[in-house]
Amino acid sequence: MKKQLLHSIVFIMAMMIALPAVWAAKVGEAAPDFTATDSNGNVHKLSEYRGKFVVLEWTNRGCPYTQKHYDSGNMQRLQKEWTAKGVIWLTVASSAPGKQGYVTAAEENAYLKQVNAAPTAVLLDPTGALGHLYDAKTTPHIFIINPQGTLIYNGAIDDRPTTDVSDINGAKNYVTAALNEATSGKPVSVATSRPYGCSVKYPN
Amino acid sequence: MLSTCLLLCAAHAGAQSPENSHAKVELIAEQSKAPPGKPLWVGLLFRLDPGWHIYWQNPGDSGEPPEVQWQLPAGFSAGAIRWPQPIRLVTGTVVDYGYEGRVLLMVPIKGPLALHSTRMPSVSADVKYIVCREICIPGKAHVTLAAPPGGDWGPWRALFAQARQQLPRPAPWSVTAEASKSQFILTVRGAPQVPSVMFFPLEPNQIDNASRQEFEPTRSGFRLRLKKSDLLVKPITSLRGLIVLGPGRAFEVGADGFTINGTAVHRAGN
Repeated sequence: MKKQLLHSIVFIMAMMIALPAVWAAKVGEAAPDFTATDSNGNVHKLSEYRGKFVVLEWTNRGCPYTQKHYDSGNMQRLQKEWTAKGVIWLTVASSAPGKQGYVTAAEENAYLKQVNAAPTAVLLDPTGALGHLYDAKTTPHIFIINPQGTLIYNGAIDDRPTTDVSDINGAKNYVTAALNEATSGKPVSVATSRPYGCSVKYPN
Repeated sequence: MLSTCLLLCAAHAGAQSPENSHAKVELIAEQSKAPPGKPLWVGLLFRLDPGWHIYWQNPGDSGEPPEVQWQLPAGFSAGAIRWPQPIRLVTGTVVDYGYEGRVLLMVPIKGPLALHSTRMPSVSADVKYIVCREICIPGKAHVTLAAPPGGDWGPWRALFAQARQQLPRPAPWSVTAEASKSQFILTVRGAPQVPSVMFFPLEPNQIDNASRQEFEPTRSGFRLRLKKSDLLVKPITSLRGLIVLGPGRAFEVGADGFTINGTAVHRAGN
């Protein structure tokens, strides 16, 4: 009996150690905290943004799905609109060195200027640690965290999983919908969707 | 902004020519005209460069399936694509479902009997697809049906015969499903003894594509444990997909009416 109990304790402890690896970001649960450095060398800690809505947007400028939303100005529009309303918008680049979408800080800053992007910051994640913490699958892939630190959206930018710029008009933008609802105190009606895009180019 | 778009869009258009996109698409038919009362089978034949892939109807974690717009004579109609069994495409933690090498996406064309059975209908299609290896390139093709080279239907007929062998069939088994907090458990009875199987979900966001599927042989078949997707926030009432035993051995299964907490078990249809 005692041995069994000991086994149970050992098992539970093993589970606790194993948990972080399988702890992806789940809607309705606390968003995993992280510390990451942006393209200007500033450090961002998610938990320091308690009290604000935070958007995480995975990016890869070589990916045609990402290009759809930047060539059209759709992503920049969203970034401007929501950061103006006090939302923290963190773009995340998880491409590994040598892979499509990998950028140095200087390259990223030049690109942001070139395309008029307006996120709060771009987090450089060449090891993929932040990407794996959230289990980001695609570019784009969007996560929204509420002021209490709870994940309230995990999924696609909109409901048209194509690379066609012409599909943006008439698409239902899930980010706009979720933020409109959440910022006016309503529950998010579409809290998950299939995040469409290119696979995130993690290190091998 | 506009000029940026013009430049980039032009660059995209360049990448979309079939020569650059690592995929060649052709529209072929099984025969010149349909047998009386039957559809004419046509197909989009994709030839992919080594290592490049296109996607199944549920593409998995990334990508998207090809999309077709048909142009047909008045009174004709095109059915849905008959998707052959896909393969699992693993890129680290991202798992997709699709095709490599050569794949034929078969489609039945139906038309007015009199016209249909006398001569080859004029059929063309606009195909949009994304082809990926490490990176993804969108492609577009306008394809038109013509007679095969040299008028020899043999090679095309052979391609259709091969494709038919890769089409999933309704599973002649009993399938039941349960759901625990983190898993779906499929119990299959009446299936042959096999060393392993692979489940391909028809709907996205039900199972976690990247997780290992736990296979356990039983006396009457096998049990398969599938990790639920983190994107699944509501209980589902139906889990559909393919169970693949091996090449040419893909079976459609569907389990309906089970509940999230796991005790209710219902007989599955196909």
